[in-house]
Amino acid sequence: MNAGPYSNEQFQAFVQEQFIPLKTQVFWDKQSELMERFTIKWTPTLIIHDKEGREHHRMVGFVPVNDLIPHLMFGKGKVLFDGDHLIKSIEAFRGIVEQYPDAGIAPEAVYYRGVAEYKRYHDAAALRRIYDALAAKYPQSEWARRAQPYSQIPAYAEV
Amino acid sequence: MAEIQWERDFASAVTRAKKEGKPVYHDFWFEG
Repeated sequence: MNAGPYSNEQFQAFVQEQFIPLKTQVFWDKQSELMERFTIKWTPTLIIHDKEGREHHRMVGFVPVNDLIPHLMFGKGKVLFDGDHLIKSIEAFRGIVEQYPDAGIAPEAVYYRGVAEYKRYHDAAALRRIYDALAAKYPQSEWARRAQPYSQIPAYAEV
Repeated sequence: MAEIQWERDFASAVTRAKKEGKPVYHDFWFEG
């Protein structure tokens, strides 16, 4: 059980305000329909679903509160991104980088913010900005390496 | 601050998610 973050008042207020909180107890000797449906193999497994119950983000194993809140913000951004609510997803991803720049999920949020900007505004410079931001702030991250192809795009390119 | 008010049923949580326009935060946990 992820007891640490749940005793944190900031997390309590955040999750109560922004999400519908749902708990499902796991019994390894008695697989439930939900465990099979979402292929639960370790705990805690933390999933962000949209209003149809579809999965958009998953965390496996204990996550400390300073990483968990940004993960939940990222999950909310992914729900918006996957639903093509691009402007709102850009705001969500930007919020992670601004409020929690040291969080583990922050480099991925930089990447998705840029992709959402590219999809919304059809400006390839947004992809170049992904690379520039990741190379400057998170040069050791996998996401900086994954953005490397965008380094070839002119900084002020338009499609 | 009150403790988190958890839903315990997936269908009920999804129904609330539709009604309130919020995503669901789902914790699969093990009492170990």
